[in-house]
Amino acid sequence: MAVESPVKIPALDYEKEMKRWNQVYKILTEDAPKIEHSPREMVWRKNKTTLWHYPAKEKKYSTPLFFVYSLLNKPYILDISPDTSVIAGLTKRGYDVYLLDWGNPGYEDDDISFDSYILDYLEKGVKRALRHSGAEDISVVGYCLGGTIASIFASITDLPIKNLIVATVPIDYSVGVAPEKWLEGLQNGTVSVDRWVDVYGTIPPALVEAMFRTLAPINVSPYVGLLSRAHDSRYVDKWRRMDKWLNDSAPFAGAALKQMFNDLMKDNKLVKGELVIGGRKADLSNIKCSFFAVSSANDGLIAEGQSLPVMELVSSEDKTYKVVEAGHVSLALSGLFAPIVDEWLSTRSDLA
Amino acid sequence: MAKEKYDPYKGFRELTGMWEKQMNSLLLSWSDNTDYIKLSNVGLQTHTRYLEMIKRNQEIMANFMNMPTKTDVKNVAKLTIQAEEKIDALEEQIWNLQDSFAAINKENMEFFGELVALSKQMKEELDNNVKELREAKKVKSDLQKLRKELSDTNELKAELQELRRELTEANGLKLELQELKQELVQFKEVKNQEPVQEKKEFELAGAGTSK
Repeated sequence: MAVESPVKIPALDYEKEMKRWNQVYKILTEDAPKIEHSPREMVWRKNKTTLWHYPAKEKKYSTPLFFVYSLLNKPYILDISPDTSVIAGLTKRGYDVYLLDWGNPGYEDDDISFDSYILDYLEKGVKRALRHSGAEDISVVGYCLGGTIASIFASITDLPIKNLIVATVPIDYSVGVAPEKWLEGLQNGTVSVDRWVDVYGTIPPALVEAMFRTLAPINVSPYVGLLSRAHDSRYVDKWRRMDKWLNDSAPFAGAALKQMFNDLMKDNKLVKGELVIGGRKADLSNIKCSFFAVSSANDGLIAEGQSLPVMELVSSEDKTYKVVEAGHVSLALSGLFAPIVDEWLSTRSDLA
Repeated sequence: MAKEKYDPYKGFRELTGMWEKQMNSLLLSWSDNTDYIKLSNVGLQTHTRYLEMIKRNQEIMANFMNMPTKTDVKNVAKLTIQAEEKIDALEEQIWNLQDSFAAINKENMEFFGELVALSKQMKEELDNNVKELREAKKVKSDLQKLRKELSDTNELKAELQELRRELTEANGLKLELQELKQELVQFKEVKNQEPVQEKKEFELAGAGTSK
């Protein structure tokens, strides 16, 4: 007579397990997924930088959107898959979208500083977008470090910026997710990266990735997460796209990196209003257009305290701050950013 | 009723997540001290000096072997970038020119528009003038006709006046005739009286001769 066990162990779902391990095998053997972009055309190209235009499916607003992405990563996270693309989400909602892709700076681009990026690339790019669209003004959206760059740009430019949106933006570098002594070491000069940056010229992607990795040296949970949900093909596809993007950092121009470490991280000049770009003082109080800042509640890279001070620094009368239940990357990866932008921007854009 | 299935990964994932979080916190807390920062800086500077030495030696070796180095390629690339910047600047100048031309064209178009409007207005006025002229001609011909009629009337008037004069003259003649008639009557009367007298005289004269 069989004895019934007092602990009930549910049976394994063999079908699910087969599917899971098949997917794992595929991931290990197949190439990384190819990222197919939404329909776009090249408007302008300078050095490694490209200005892309994603036309609206059915144009509803005459004010175009201009995306400025971070210098540390590649901007295709904004258009990573047809289902969750932030850009496609916005073109479907009737916006003409422009994206400034900084490209991959080479060894010859070691002297590209924030000044060059903002004045020689971003300002000219916005001019081109305005000319290409025929619009009278434009809405600028900055993501991550792109938000910092967009804010600096908005504070010094004479171009007609109607709305400024920044997401997960580092503004105040006196706080951060890095350990306190690290920041202290940078700020008091115990650690200096100048010579190291000079010898590399342009920091290779592997070192940029390593810089990120120092904030979370052990990183196994994404792989365990993948294994636990490998039976779900949609999750696997999303995971693979994200993994490809995470391992595809952009090289960082030396002069810009030195400026980021010294002017922003060490001296916190942007918050103090002491940052000078191309002889013009980048005082955030010069920003008077409608302003929208978005922070991610589960951001492992940019603490909310780094973004929040911007609300006090800008002079805009119409300013909104929103915290979204998302991570630093998942805000863009999930496509959640598109409806958030549309909700705020739709009433602040001119109708076509 | 759905049968509960065993998912061995759920617990594993949760445990790994907790372990990872704790390990990262531990590593960061270990490194969160000044000594570690100083040591890192020493490591960074050593690494930098080592790389500088490699680069310097690479340049020297490449120079001996008459081979271009990454720096040479960088310099050439910079020339390309400069050329690109110049083209960009030229393109912007062309834009400005295009804008100026567009503005001038716009002004010209407005001017031409005004000209066209003016021409239309002039044409309309000309048409009106032609119409008015035609009417004036018609009026003139009417007037001429009227004048002719008037002159006819004048002629008629003159004739009438002449007729009246003739009539007056006829009246005068009539009067004269009446006078003549009267005179004739008188003369007749006188003539009638004369034979009696003459008879008397004759008789008187006869009487005298007979003696």
